[in-house]
Amino acid sequence: MLLVALGAWRWGQLGRAPAARQRYFLLGAALLWIALDWPLGALGGYLAAAHAGQYLLLALSAPAFLLLGLRDALDTRVTANGAADRVLRFLAHPAPAFLGYNLILLVTHFPDVVDALMASQAGSFVLDMAWLAGGLFLWWPVCAPIRYQRLKAPLQMGYLFVQTIPATLPSAFLVFADYPLFRLYELSPRVHPALTPMYDHQIAGLLMKIVGDPIVWVGIAVIFFRWAGAERRADLASSRP
Amino acid sequence: MRWLILTMLIGLAACRSVPKAELSGLLSGAPLPRAVARPSFVLTTTSGDTFDFGFRTRGRLTLLFFGYTNCPDVCPATMQNIAAVTNRLTSLERQRLDVVFVTTDPDRDGPNQLGPWLARFDKAFIGLIGPIEAVDAAQRAAGVATAIRAAGGRDYAVAHAAQVLVYSPDDSGHVAYPFGTRQAEWAADLPKLMERWTGR
Repeated sequence: MLLVALGAWRWGQLGRAPAARQRYFLLGAALLWIALDWPLGALGGYLAAAHAGQYLLLALSAPAFLLLGLRDALDTRVTANGAADRVLRFLAHPAPAFLGYNLILLVTHFPDVVDALMASQAGSFVLDMAWLAGGLFLWWPVCAPIRYQRLKAPLQMGYLFVQTIPATLPSAFLVFADYPLFRLYELSPRVHPALTPMYDHQIAGLLMKIVGDPIVWVGIAVIFFRWAGAERRADLASSRP
Repeated sequence: MRWLILTMLIGLAACRSVPKAELSGLLSGAPLPRAVARPSFVLTTTSGDTFDFGFRTRGRLTLLFFGYTNCPDVCPATMQNIAAVTNRLTSLERQRLDVVFVTTDPDRDGPNQLGPWLARFDKAFIGLIGPIEAVDAAQRAAGVATAIRAAGGRDYAVAHAAQVLVYSPDDSGHVAYPFGTRQAEWAADLPKLMERWTGR
């Protein structure tokens, strides 16, 4: 959180950015805060379901708003044809974005990785940052400044839809496994007697799909309505004598 | 001569590690250095009946655990993990197994506390209660450290042994399961434990 605030201050753009951009950025920062602080942040060490909630916020929600908030700043601050510019342009291509996001998604849901990382504060921080980075990969092709975007609106919608497919794999493993996958969440103190490790894992898996996918669908819907609005305006403009 | 002594020492070491080598990879539990006899102690069930552990569980696969219902972590997690597997056993398999929980906190764990707490995991789990002297004697008979009640008000903690002791149908204990044994490990091991050391 401190890094995000420092970054915004360092860029010095937030105060001068349009109000909408500021709101996006603050909303992204607020979502990060909710994900990392009490109670969700604390429960993330005891419940797989809470951990999944953190994933929804850190990887699927906050990065989109942070990128939208920083869009103008990125556009003006990143020098054209510099190294950063080339990297950002490359990452806006759907292939590296797809690979980057899904590699992080799959690796950070592998039981041995989760159990090893969540055993320490540092490891837990690495996991949180990995999810945030994954979210930046996911949303960059659609939230980047226009000069970086490679995809037209219909392809952006298709890209986002395809991004929701690989998450089905860890989600299905969580829901349909015979026994709990994560040692940490199987052996941690119970938050509520009725919430057994198995139920907890199943809720986590369902959250990833039933809540996670609609978050991305909201992004798809926003792109669709903006695109439809732009088309309508273009039609109106062309039909005027 | 030196070689002879060295060879004998290696031979002795090898003999000593036979149980571990035999069990390694077969069971997830920790093999005991040598088999121990099924302990004998008498306590009371949550329904008020006298329970002679040695007699009532003789010839049966028995999991024995010492803990208390106000335990915040080890006891509920351990019982939960065992129950997750026992609840999936066939009725035939379930009839061949006893899971016995002895409270190390008899002041707070009366029948009305221990009974429902255990039933939450598996209605067939057997809860045993007794005066603290009898509970301590039971722990000594089972070869585990006697539980210690920490100072404090009503919310005191009880430090207790965290392993699950397993007694086979041959009325001996060959293996113990430390805290952290997972449901998948119990699921793999319980059927093996039923068939191994049958005493026949």
